[in-house]
Amino acid sequence: MDKVLESAGMKKSFGRSLLYTLPMFLITFMFMTGGKPNFSDPASALAMMTAFLLVNVLYFFMHYTGKTDRYRAVLFIIFALSLSYTLIHNMLEVRKSMSFSQADILECKIPFCHLVIPMMILPAAFTKSIIFPGSIIGGFANISSMVLLWLVATVVLGRGFCSWGCFYGGWDDGFSRIRKKPVIKKISELWRWMPFAVLIMVALTSALALMPTYCSWICPFKAVTEFEQVTSVESATKAGIFLSLFGGLVIALPVMTRKRTQCSFLCPMGAVNTLSNKITPFTLKIDKQACTECLKCVEVCPLYALTPEDVKAGKVSLFCSRCGKCVDACSKRAIHYGIRGIPAGTMKNFSRNLFLFVSFLFMAIFSAGSIISTFQGLFKFIF
Amino acid sequence: MTDSLILGLSSGSACLATCGMVMFPYLMAGSAGVKRIAIDLSLFMLTRFVIYFIMATLAWYFGQALFSNPVVRNIVPGILYIVFAVLLVWYSIDKNRKKDCPAKIIKTVNNHRLVPILLGIVNSLGFCPALFIILTKSATQGTLIQSYIAFLAFFIGSSVWFLPLPLAGKMRKKEVLQNIGILATGLAGIIFMIKGITNLIGGIING
Repeated sequence: MDKVLESAGMKKSFGRSLLYTLPMFLITFMFMTGGKPNFSDPASALAMMTAFLLVNVLYFFMHYTGKTDRYRAVLFIIFALSLSYTLIHNMLEVRKSMSFSQADILECKIPFCHLVIPMMILPAAFTKSIIFPGSIIGGFANISSMVLLWLVATVVLGRGFCSWGCFYGGWDDGFSRIRKKPVIKKISELWRWMPFAVLIMVALTSALALMPTYCSWICPFKAVTEFEQVTSVESATKAGIFLSLFGGLVIALPVMTRKRTQCSFLCPMGAVNTLSNKITPFTLKIDKQACTECLKCVEVCPLYALTPEDVKAGKVSLFCSRCGKCVDACSKRAIHYGIRGIPAGTMKNFSRNLFLFVSFLFMAIFSAGSIISTFQGLFKFIF
Repeated sequence: MTDSLILGLSSGSACLATCGMVMFPYLMAGSAGVKRIAIDLSLFMLTRFVIYFIMATLAWYFGQALFSNPVVRNIVPGILYIVFAVLLVWYSIDKNRKKDCPAKIIKTVNNHRLVPILLGIVNSLGFCPALFIILTKSATQGTLIQSYIAFLAFFIGSSVWFLPLPLAGKMRKKEVLQNIGILATGLAGIIFMIKGITNLIGGIING
């Protein structure tokens, strides 16, 4: 396997890997410090340095070892955990509780996340109003910055956003790695279309009710972020749904299937990002001449994006999030990162380097704030 | 109104899941061309709209007579929601659903002009669980206008699934639309099961 990676140019020498890491090193340094490192608060300085090193060491190892998913997943999971920590910490500081009241809604104090975006489009088009009770500009997790970030990432990465930018994806990605072998091996391909059914339902009902119905009734991540105060049968039912979906789709099923079941079978944003895969410049390609049809890639794909028929046809479906798990698993390097318009089997190394730089940089910058804040909290707690 | 829209969505998707294979050849632009199919689809939708309008009127008048007791008005809809929601989920997982399609009678009609109208009649009168729920809801509304609004939202929700049909004929994988329809039906069933249980518990707690 190592020889295959080396011959394909994926696995690089120490010096070459350092050279490839240098641009990431400089950009993340500028972004995290603003060009002027501040050592006046030791805990903050240490947190910043740790986050900076973590990001760059992971990126270095992606080049040095030729493996993608292993190092992506580390940052992705840390991102998910740190975002939840930051969000909860912020809410406890501001409102002394993880639950929000009607007053918080009226004062637009609810942190915004990208999952609301598909529900905002129709009401915004027809009523010129934003149906989410959050801050439009300024404040913690405001609407405009999140929409802009998601838009840029989706145009460039397509569904790659689900594996390189989504701060919830790391939860089921993490749980899907706990067991070495799956307990449930076969799930019908039909379920891959569920996010589209959820998307249609929530987009239309939100437009009619002028409220984000997914957030109000379905979102499993309410269990690890903020939720409505339990004051009635309805709010108790909602809390029950959030906890059941989190327990089932984010913890239990990923552990049993080794797949990201929440992302595959529920998330309406996943459906939108799947459609955006049609326009993104980056893609995954199957080199039919090198492929032996061992179907290892089908087995490891966490999003059910590959089927035996896809492999035989030499195509990767639109469900792909470019996590790189299949690329790492393929001993022949037949499946590889590619660029639209360039034939499969060519420019494998260039395509991978370009994709990794863009996607990893996005994740590093996007996650930096919450990771630094989490390390800060951790160091303050320890020391 | 949101409830009615979800019901409409589930009804439309249930129709698609049950009768997709019967309706597709008539309402999809294959070789027939998008323009002709768009006209047929408009006739089909108009027929459904008229029938729903009549049903909204009838359901409300019957409701006034049947649900005059406030206790019945609080408890019965909750129970009916649960029963029909279970049926809706069953609809989505039933492998024999295609055999039950009431629209298959259309295959015996030779006059092409009549097909979209007949299909509209059969489709709107095909008593599926979602239609039973909207009839229950319509019957318990305070005013006739509210009953019309409920049915209008139901009509809009169910129409969402039929509008892309002229273009769907050009799709290489028609079963995708059908798969999403089946899943949306099951999802709507689960939503109404939860809603029914919540209503019932709320009704019992509040006396």
